[in-house]
Amino acid sequence: MRKLIFNYVQTHKSEILGEWINRMKQEADERAVQTMSAQMFTKTSSEFIELLVSNFTETEEEFQSKVTGFAEKIVRLGWPLTVITLGLRIFDHIITDGMQEEELVDHHNFMEFSSEFERWMFPLYNTIIDAYAYTWERTVSLQKIALQELSAPLIPVFEKISVMPLVGTIDTERAKLIMENLLDGVVKHRAEVVLIDITGVPVVDTMVAHHIIQAADAVRLVGAKCMIVGIRPEIAQTIVTLGINLDQVLTTSTLKKGIEKALEMTERKIIEVEEEQ
Amino acid sequence: MRIPILKLHDCLLISIQWELDDQTALQFQEDLLRKIHETSARGVVIDLTSIDFIDSFIAKVLGDVISMSKLMGAKVVITGIQPAVAITLIELGIRLEDVLTALDLEKGLEKLRRELED
Amino acid sequence: MDSCVKITNEWDIVAARQLGRNVAKDLGFGTVDQARITTAISELARNIYLYAGQGQVCIEKTENAGKVGLIILSEDQGPGIQDLRKAMEDGFSTSGGLGAGLPGVKRLVDEFAIDSTPGEGTLIKAIKWLR
Ligand SMILES: Nc1ncnc2c1ncn2[C@@H]1O[C@H](COP(=O)(O)OP(=O)(O)OP(=O)(O)O)[C@@H](O)[C@H]1O
Ligand SMILES: [Mg+2]
Repeated sequence: MRKLIFNYVQTHKSEILGEWINRMKQEADERAVQTMSAQMFTKTSSEFIELLVSNFTETEEEFQSKVTGFAEKIVRLGWPLTVITLGLRIFDHIITDGMQEEELVDHHNFMEFSSEFERWMFPLYNTIIDAYAYTWERTVSLQKIALQELSAPLIPVFEKISVMPLVGTIDTERAKLIMENLLDGVVKHRAEVVLIDITGVPVVDTMVAHHIIQAADAVRLVGAKCMIVGIRPEIAQTIVTLGINLDQVLTTSTLKKGIEKALEMTERKIIEVEEEQ
Repeated sequence: MRIPILKLHDCLLISIQWELDDQTALQFQEDLLRKIHETSARGVVIDLTSIDFIDSFIAKVLGDVISMSKLMGAKVVITGIQPAVAITLIELGIRLEDVLTALDLEKGLEKLRRELED
Repeated sequence: MDSCVKITNEWDIVAARQLGRNVAKDLGFGTVDQARITTAISELARNIYLYAGQGQVCIEKTENAGKVGLIILSEDQGPGIQDLRKAMEDGFSTSGGLGAGLPGVKRLVDEFAIDSTPGEGTLIKAIKWLR
């Protein structure tokens, strides 16, 4: 029976592919199909069908590595998981319908067919979903790491003065990372004053404020002073409305004012030099 | 094991080099207060660069020593608290609020000088 | 790699945190997490010494879904904690301490569970996961 299925699939490969693409275009979520050009869609589709068919001939290891490769590709292309499950179901229907039409399968051997077919499709299904899920998770965690790494650099702007611009939302995990970067940077650059610029932080709620206060405290412990700059009017409003006490932390509205203050604290200032004519 | 206390003009210098056990910490508290009394020191710098953790007990001893020294007329600057130590202290909920700090021994002495001038 | 330190005197506190620091280092924890782990062990071991008189602290490696973690188990058959909720509050101490130990440990680790019965003893399990 397996042989029968195999032969049918082998000999009708291009018809199956054509049919599959048609039905995918009708049934799949528009978004998924439209994210790529028609040409790309056809190419990826045929790779998918190739992959399914190759399951007959390849060893398990070869197949596994092919599936992993394919999963990486479609995750990158942005095909959602629903497209894959739909695709597998349509593939299943096309073959069942097709073999019935050619009377390779009738009501005598249908039971045998469907159990054999199931035995082929089921592990295939699992392998593909597994690979997709794994790739997806890995991509997400890689993105997360990349985001964390780029999220909080400490920039030494003058001797004794460093600035850390914060951009984006701050959650507990990021706050911990920011704190580590901040303190390591203070020690490494021998900073006496660090300015944390929160211009790019969209929301300052009690949790974010709490993290900022903690960071300022920790900076004081290692032996430097911390100043929060970039406090926009709406942030000043929320801070006071929420009853957050930032009294112990130095604050100013702009980075420029902050730097001036920091220079003053380290007994320096910027003077204008008149150009010699 | 006793922690050595050095005298430099009117200041005392302490650099803690080993992991502090409870006895050593308490002994240190006693020794330092006695030395402040003997020398009439006006300032103390305690360097913690080699310390890789501080728990609530040691934090309390340190806090106490600072308050006690203040009572005896000596200002204390703590130097060299490592980032990892600062983070764990904050997470423990220990803020050491009124403590003077500096990055290292040298800057600590500078800070002490400034504090003692005004 | 399981190993335990019996806590009966002050020196055992030092031994327990040394063990913890070494295991943490071996498992690949960074300096900040090493400090967190060492500090947590120190707090738990000292509580045993102060309030239960004796007990033990065990350090174990654990694995879950590909993640590696370090378990700190602190166990004693001492008097137990009368009011657990109070004991977990910042600043609560029956011994004139800072009262930072238990609530602090909870913040230093990723998972924290405490089981204490008055008259029977206290069991605390804390886990730190490798990031
Ligand atoms: N193993 C234990 N057995 C019995 N009671 C305990 C135990 N551990 C803690 N306690 C009780 O819980 C209280 C809170 O403990 P916690 O460690 O938070 O603070 P502390 O030990 O009093 O002070 P600190 O740890 O800051 O020096 C203790 O004062 C004590 O009454
Ligand atoms: Mg305690």
